[in-house]
Amino acid sequence: MSWSEAGLGDGLIAVRAVHFAATANTLGALIFRSLIAEPAFGATPEAVPVLAAQIRKLAWTSLVIAVLTGLGWLLLETMQITGLSLWDALTQEGLSTVVEVTQFGQVTVVRLALAVLLAISLAGERVWPVRRLTLVSALAFTGAIAWTGHAGSTAGDLGILHLVSDVLHLWAASAWIGGLLLLMSLLNSSARHQSAAWRKLEQNAVSRFSLLGIVAVSTLVLSGAINAWIIVRSWQVLLATAYGQLLLVKMAVVALMVAFACVNRLWLTPQLAATAAADASLQLARNSGIEFALGLAVFAIVGALGLQHPMIHP
Amino acid sequence: MRHPSRIWTAVLVLSLVTTEARAHAFLDRAEPKVGNTVASPPREVTLYFTQKLEPAFSTISVTNAAGQRIDSGKARVSGSQMSISLKPGGNGTYHVNWRVLSVDTHTTDGNFTFQVGQ
Repeated sequence: MSWSEAGLGDGLIAVRAVHFAATANTLGALIFRSLIAEPAFGATPEAVPVLAAQIRKLAWTSLVIAVLTGLGWLLLETMQITGLSLWDALTQEGLSTVVEVTQFGQVTVVRLALAVLLAISLAGERVWPVRRLTLVSALAFTGAIAWTGHAGSTAGDLGILHLVSDVLHLWAASAWIGGLLLLMSLLNSSARHQSAAWRKLEQNAVSRFSLLGIVAVSTLVLSGAINAWIIVRSWQVLLATAYGQLLLVKMAVVALMVAFACVNRLWLTPQLAATAAADASLQLARNSGIEFALGLAVFAIVGALGLQHPMIHP
Repeated sequence: MRHPSRIWTAVLVLSLVTTEARAHAFLDRAEPKVGNTVASPPREVTLYFTQKLEPAFSTISVTNAAGQRIDSGKARVSGSQMSISLKPGGNGTYHVNWRVLSVDTHTTDGNFTFQVGQ
């Protein structure tokens, strides 16, 4: 392997990891708004402008990073597929060929169009009643990643199952990991304000996020098991191949995240109603931060996993 | 969300410390079968892969025992299957070379032989 090939591979892993994390944060912020923040705002109107601004800021920042890394991913893949240099890939029809004739290129163009739709709806939702369009376009922008990877290349009826499972996996990961930054922000704000209204909002939001987490983790485990069964198929492959070993590391990190989530759910959440609620809030925020950092590690592993050729036993 | 730039730096660092992975191809099966002997020259060679292929970046070449190319030059791709028509090439060892791009963007290549006659 030449230095340039190794550099290209490292670049692809990095750009994919950042893209997946940014995409998950975009969708996660919008799911958090729809399922956690807005239903919990009720009795705490003073929290609305603070949280609404934070949600929009996270969604916008993440969307911009997702678009830029999406373009970078397309360019690096073009170089890898065609063997052209960066300049030649841009000038000698390498990019246009990949966009026109490969599934990866076509899906990337569709996803960029969805990102534009999402940006327009995000910008216009103060004027138009387009909130649902914002969430739907974010779901489509995220779910379409499935068609660029192993799920998109699985043949036959199994391919349909693989795609459905992968889309659910992407949505569940986004809902969980992508909501953690906003949960941290809400908990820190509540600890700062220390008012009864903020405490009520916090309890309501944490309770809702806990339920969302249970649904997301259940979906991740089920869809992850289906994906692993389709791709790996045997214990030998899981233990003896680089793909299988990376998958095991990913599963270990996710298990650690679930352990933190269990501590939050079973130990810290009940303490929010107690007198030392501020301490519990800060500890919940800290644990959510650790969960988020572990989530970023998962995205880094996924960035590398997708470049591995899975050993499928016929 | 106090330091978003630090978070994104952490993502980048995490992604850079992971191992770079290289792709390896899996040819599921072929017709004529890999290493087998067929009685008469086949009219085409068909390769079945474990993943769906990109037609524009997938090729096969077939040479006969004399080293002459006897394929039509244009492979047909349908899902995970790739075929190419052959001209009559006589008896002996046929060499098949393939290079494919799977839909998930892995480029892989390989070769095998089969015997015609005897």
